[in-house]
Amino acid sequence: MLSVERRAFVKSTAIAAATAAAAGSARTWALPILEEPQSGSGLRWEKAPCRFCGTGCHVMVGTENGRVVAIQGDQKAEVNKGLLCVKGYHVGLALYGKDRLTTPMLRTNGVLKPITWDEAIDVISKRILGNPAGFSFYGSGQWTIPEGYAANKFVKAGMGNNQIDANPRLCMASAVTGFLSTFGVDEPPGVYDDIDKCDVAIMWGNNMAEMHPVLFSRLVDRRTRGEKVTIIDMTTRRTRTSDLADHVLLFKPHGDLAIANGIAHLLMKDNAFDHAFVEKHCNFRTLGPPKDEKSPPEMLGVPMTMDAYREAVKDYTPEVVEKLSGVSADHIRMLGALFARKDIKINSFWCMGMNQHTRGTAINCLVHGIHLLSGHFGKPGEAATSLTGQPSACGTAREVGTLCHLLPGGLAIANPQHRAHAEEHWNLAQGRISDKPGYHAVELFKRFNTPTDQGGDVTTIWVQVTNPGHTMPNLTRNFREKSKLADKFLIVSDVYPTATTELADLILPSAMWVEKNGMYGNSERRTHQWFKMVEPPGAARDDCWQTIAVSKRLAELDPTSQRDKDGVWIFKTTDVEGKEIPVWEWAHYYDRNVDERLFNEYRLFSTHKHKNLAPYAEYVKARGLRWPVVEQPDGSWRETRWRFSGFDDPFVEKGRDFQFYHSVSRDDKALIWFRPHEHPPEMPDAEFPFWLCTGRVLEHWHSGTMTRRIPPLHRAMPKAYVEMHRDDAQTMGVRSGDIITVRSRRGAVDLPAWIGGRGNPKQGEVFVPFFDEQVLINLVTLDAYDPYSKQPDYKKCAVQLTRKG
Amino acid sequence: MSSEPHISRRDLLRGRFGRGADAVSPDRTSSLASSARPLPVLHRPPGAVEEAAFLRECTRCDACVEACPVHAIVRAGTRFREAAGTPVIDASTQPCVMCKDAPCITVCIPRVLRAELPRRMGTARIQIESCLAHTRTTCTVCSERCPVEGAITVERGRPTIHAEHCTGCGVCLSVCPAPQNGVLLLPTLARSA
Repeated sequence: MLSVERRAFVKSTAIAAATAAAAGSARTWALPILEEPQSGSGLRWEKAPCRFCGTGCHVMVGTENGRVVAIQGDQKAEVNKGLLCVKGYHVGLALYGKDRLTTPMLRTNGVLKPITWDEAIDVISKRILGNPAGFSFYGSGQWTIPEGYAANKFVKAGMGNNQIDANPRLCMASAVTGFLSTFGVDEPPGVYDDIDKCDVAIMWGNNMAEMHPVLFSRLVDRRTRGEKVTIIDMTTRRTRTSDLADHVLLFKPHGDLAIANGIAHLLMKDNAFDHAFVEKHCNFRTLGPPKDEKSPPEMLGVPMTMDAYREAVKDYTPEVVEKLSGVSADHIRMLGALFARKDIKINSFWCMGMNQHTRGTAINCLVHGIHLLSGHFGKPGEAATSLTGQPSACGTAREVGTLCHLLPGGLAIANPQHRAHAEEHWNLAQGRISDKPGYHAVELFKRFNTPTDQGGDVTTIWVQVTNPGHTMPNLTRNFREKSKLADKFLIVSDVYPTATTELADLILPSAMWVEKNGMYGNSERRTHQWFKMVEPPGAARDDCWQTIAVSKRLAELDPTSQRDKDGVWIFKTTDVEGKEIPVWEWAHYYDRNVDERLFNEYRLFSTHKHKNLAPYAEYVKARGLRWPVVEQPDGSWRETRWRFSGFDDPFVEKGRDFQFYHSVSRDDKALIWFRPHEHPPEMPDAEFPFWLCTGRVLEHWHSGTMTRRIPPLHRAMPKAYVEMHRDDAQTMGVRSGDIITVRSRRGAVDLPAWIGGRGNPKQGEVFVPFFDEQVLINLVTLDAYDPYSKQPDYKKCAVQLTRKG
Repeated sequence: MSSEPHISRRDLLRGRFGRGADAVSPDRTSSLASSARPLPVLHRPPGAVEEAAFLRECTRCDACVEACPVHAIVRAGTRFREAAGTPVIDASTQPCVMCKDAPCITVCIPRVLRAELPRRMGTARIQIESCLAHTRTTCTVCSERCPVEGAITVERGRPTIHAEHCTGCGVCLSVCPAPQNGVLLLPTLARSA
């Protein structure tokens, strides 16, 4: 019944998504769709991961006459098995907004004027050479792996400093510090297969139905097959996830720490923890004393005994936890009893709720801790799974290390041996990699928005693939001050005008998604690859090319810049005969697959931390492979699903059931942390009596610059709103649609109220989505951040509400 | 249900109602004894009188077209022959938003739109083979944007339209983000006189 003939395409969407829409299959969670996308109608079909979130669904992209004209879920993809979410079905339209940026533009006397690429490259290069220490790159998990690798090498090898950070600092950083604190190495031990196997799924402030809808379908569709899966939704507001949950546990903002400690207390008190697993594979850990008054205690903490741990969690009785979290003591007992059971498989899920948290590292550690303590770990269906928001937050930012403290492959700037590895791979002189970390995102933009003579030592930022003018917390302070500072220079590579390009001094038009070759890495350690399918519009060019072209110009202008210890340019690319290809010239950029060249260089870094990647060619064949990917005696490459588990992970010594081979305590054991509950830095008071939580909605992705240009998505969710509790609305005399001013100590925005809408906050709380650039809720949010991950908390600050008019 | 004629989805989308032998039931045809052609089935503004009377009495004055605050009411094109120039709603472009004060009715001098008549323009139906929520992905937009309380409810994540409450305003059709629209909007065939 599905046709890919043009005439079948619906007129309101320029691109037909061949929705896997046949009804009636209750046997599998995936939809019964075409065996193969139909050919013969002039369409060419190729695979690509979806452009949007971190789930990593694969789509089949149909192109005709140089345009993307059809999208279909890829049934060969293990992640989504043909299913897509509402955004995925329309992903092709992201390319065809009417206002694509198509020419470089320089702001001269306040007005943006078109310039040539040569001029643009020159402007950037001279700006960097004028003050190399004042320059920083800022990217995101929307960088493809090779793009992020190029930017990282540009800065860390090419410039010899670490002035690069990325949006995952605002998104995933607390998950990273949680994994590092617990396992000594980043990224989840489990995979999506756990979703198919668990008996109980616990959402820790995770609205999976809207944010990772395909994964949520994978979970709830098990019910249609007659399987029993219990969903426990722990949340601060009722959401679409709550609608399908068996238990909805509404907790007070910040109450998650108390809940986790409450579960740990019950496991210890009742002696219900997994004695064998804990004894064999775990150590207990707590934070030591602070070094001085200004710094927090060391992140990796100090050992503690089991008795000390038992004593520490003793205070978190169900009744105390009820007071701290608002979740009833009976529900805390229910959770404790669930974790105590050995006959069920438990999978925890989280995303921004636990990460965008001033105690993000702590809550991440605590959730890992109760899984380890109870032994609900490392078997299919038993995992603590952090989901990511960006398509390559894992693949690029975390694995390639495009953050100010990381090197590729999970190596750390702070570790002299790791710096030496990088110098070896990049053929750099000893000491070329700086031991001084760069500025993390909030600090970076704070300094960029501070007068240079008052400590604002960042003078130039080059932003690629992200929108900090929309997404930084406390925007007035952390983004908009710049407009008053004449010596600051903002370079923005993007595909559409955004809140960031609004203040840019130089705008570079970029190619996006299938207009270029690319690779992404999703939440389950899966690395994807795709090829360029259509040309970018006008003079838009690949971000990776932009980085390489500037690198080349710098190397020409300054003999010490962008070269290895033998004076060879760091992005030198040769053909099969060893002759150099001028990849810095756009006309020659695709003479060779630069992605392949960069990826095969990058993968050499991946073995140090057992994040082994296969050669590029293996990813061309696959719908993604999950690392570590290890070569087999027969020459094939095998991916790994369960890390640290003897039955699957090739790096666990033979005969051992588990081995945490990057253990912080260096004894192959994971750490069970104690972290106390503490109050957040800003809480509602008499003047600002409401909690504000921000987040995404189903139809829009990140700052909405792509999805708001997709007509069906825009029509479905045209503007932001403020969700309130019915009783609060009644007290204020507010009805749905009335305009409300949401004001914090930092800023205010006006929004229509939505009562009894998609989400329902508790009394005293409101929710505002952040996608709408006409209503920048980040003018209101707080820029306090976690001391370890440096990730700000977009989920909690105090606001007042007033009805307008 | 059974009394309603079959209109193909394609014809409906293209505004081809009332053509072909099976498009209109025999009793409707007989009500227009003077014509060999059946009456067009049009998506009229709220409170519209029975179609033959509507065609006879509507003065094509455009007052309702101008009164509509969201520009949902437009003039029927010439392809609607005898109905050309009369007010209709093209919900896929702009649906009726069910204003409480119904300015279109207030301004209607010939009283082909009447406050005392049911504001029932049609009935929406979920096409479960194209509705995203019924094909296993999260979507609740139609129920959230429906202006009539109780007309669309969501049970276990899937929407159901309750015909007894649905006014056929078309908001659900216009906001449905499914690649193939998950809502079928049928104009009311037999309105009361």
